Amino acid sequence: MRPPLGFGLGLRPVHYTAVLETAPAVDWFEVITENYLVGGGRPLHFLDAVRDRYPVVMHGVSLSIGSAAPLDLDYVDRVRRLAERCEPVWISDHLCWTGTDGANLHDLMPLPYTEEALAHVAGRIDEVQARLGRPLVVENVSSYVSYTHSVMSEWQFLAELARRTGCRLLLDVNNVYVSSRNHGFDAREFLDGVPVADVQQLHIAGHLDLGTHVIDTHDHPVRDEVWDLYAHAVRRFGNVSTLLERDDNIPPLAELVAELDQARAVAARSQREAA
Amino acid sequence: MRLTELQSAVQRHVLAGGPTPEALAAVVEPPADERWRIYVDAYRLRLAEALGVQYRALAARCGSEEFDARIASFIAITPSVYRSIRDYGGELAAFLATGAAGVEDELRGELAGFEWQLAAAFDAEAGRPATVAGLATVAAEDWQGLCFRALPCVRRFTTCTNAVAAWRAATAARADDHPTGPVRLPVAVRTAPLEWLVVRVGLDTEFRSLPVDEAEAFDRLAGGASFGELCAALGERLGDAAALQAATWLKGWLHEGLLERP
Repeated sequence: MRPPLGFGLGLRPVHYTAVLETAPAVDWFEVITENYLVGGGRPLHFLDAVRDRYPVVMHGVSLSIGSAAPLDLDYVDRVRRLAERCEPVWISDHLCWTGTDGANLHDLMPLPYTEEALAHVAGRIDEVQARLGRPLVVENVSSYVSYTHSVMSEWQFLAELARRTGCRLLLDVNNVYVSSRNHGFDAREFLDGVPVADVQQLHIAGHLDLGTHVIDTHDHPVRDEVWDLYAHAVRRFGNVSTLLERDDNIPPLAELVAELDQARAVAARSQREAA
Repeated sequence: MRLTELQSAVQRHVLAGGPTPEALAAVVEPPADERWRIYVDAYRLRLAEALGVQYRALAARCGSEEFDARIASFIAITPSVYRSIRDYGGELAAFLATGAAGVEDELRGELAGFEWQLAAAFDAEAGRPATVAGLATVAAEDWQGLCFRALPCVRRFTTCTNAVAAWRAATAARADDHPTGPVRLPVAVRTAPLEWLVVRVGLDTEFRSLPVDEAEAFDRLAGGASFGELCAALGERLGDAAALQAATWLKGWLHEGLLERP
């Protein structure tokens, strides 16, 4: 098992220059895979420059591992070639489907948690892992709807997926919180239901609370209830690589670095409590 | 319901903006219909946001209300088939040009096309630019058969309106620190065909106009004609001066980094 990377940030184009000029105290960067599946130019230039200075992890949004459509092998091969270029510590994507029948919804659509879906996704993860030559890291998504014919919980589905395929898990603590509010389950039960040894990485992010439900916006600072859940996650999973993710309404880099320091403090306190 | 049927049904409902699929449940407030709208709206908002970034000058030209309306119409009939949302929207120029009701509509179609070409050059593969020095070793007898092609980060474009002037004005108008105050967007006018060359230089995308004869020659060479065939084609008009003119253009294109050897 790889040693934890520490505390990282999602690399966003608006921060390219600041990252290179200020060399912030960030242990690693996570890059959105699709932003760099291009021929050349500015994106790959800055990816190479950041990779020269920091460990990098590739995080995809359109593998569509849960889609009923045939696996897009051309896409997987492009991901593999990008990985050969930037040598990420690992490659992650989401437990979801993004489209079928040739279309793409550009959204992380939830899956029904059924035996059929489990077998389907497990088979595809096996194929992707063989093609990439490394384990895939799979992230839980936030959701607003569920399917009437699901027969297991999301965390049972994730745990079984890891058991069958050897894939690793990326737990987005904010997504766990958002889905727990939207579906009425206990967020700690989710975390406690995932085997400790399967967890490779944690995400933390912000959301929008509308009272009756919660929208996963990833455009706010981490909220107190997610910090509390993150503390619980660290007590359970220990010293796991943590990433602060901001996708919109992106503040200056220094602001995110300060928020990342808050994650360091929460993790340190939680680890002391767990010891 | 099988996974295949389920996903097809859900996707159809998202694309059509339809009601909540029967397979979806809500165990707590709010009701399923309200939750379902999150997905329906997110699909449209995400594509609209991507197009707003892609077509900044067009958005400035149209104004937000009209731009949003045109984009919504485009999205409604153009599902994304791309893995990366960055690749979505290339058909917008043709969409705008279809049924253009006047010169302003024609300009907007060309403006969209121009912005798409700029974006395509922005992150295209650099290729392996041919150089004058690299051709120094080509034997004299081999020059006739010498072939080139445009680098992936080079794009050609033709306008029949003042779309590029409109792009410049809209781009200047967006700049917060524009020193001379609000920029007036030029009135749309039809023009004789204007030829443009877009190329990425280093990390920056640049463009310039091309004289018609140079544009024809460049297109001929980039389209697969050999240097000898280019000279022959020019010879019909330039006679003995054709080879010198072709060599002069070629040298310039090589200095600009526009061509590579197949």
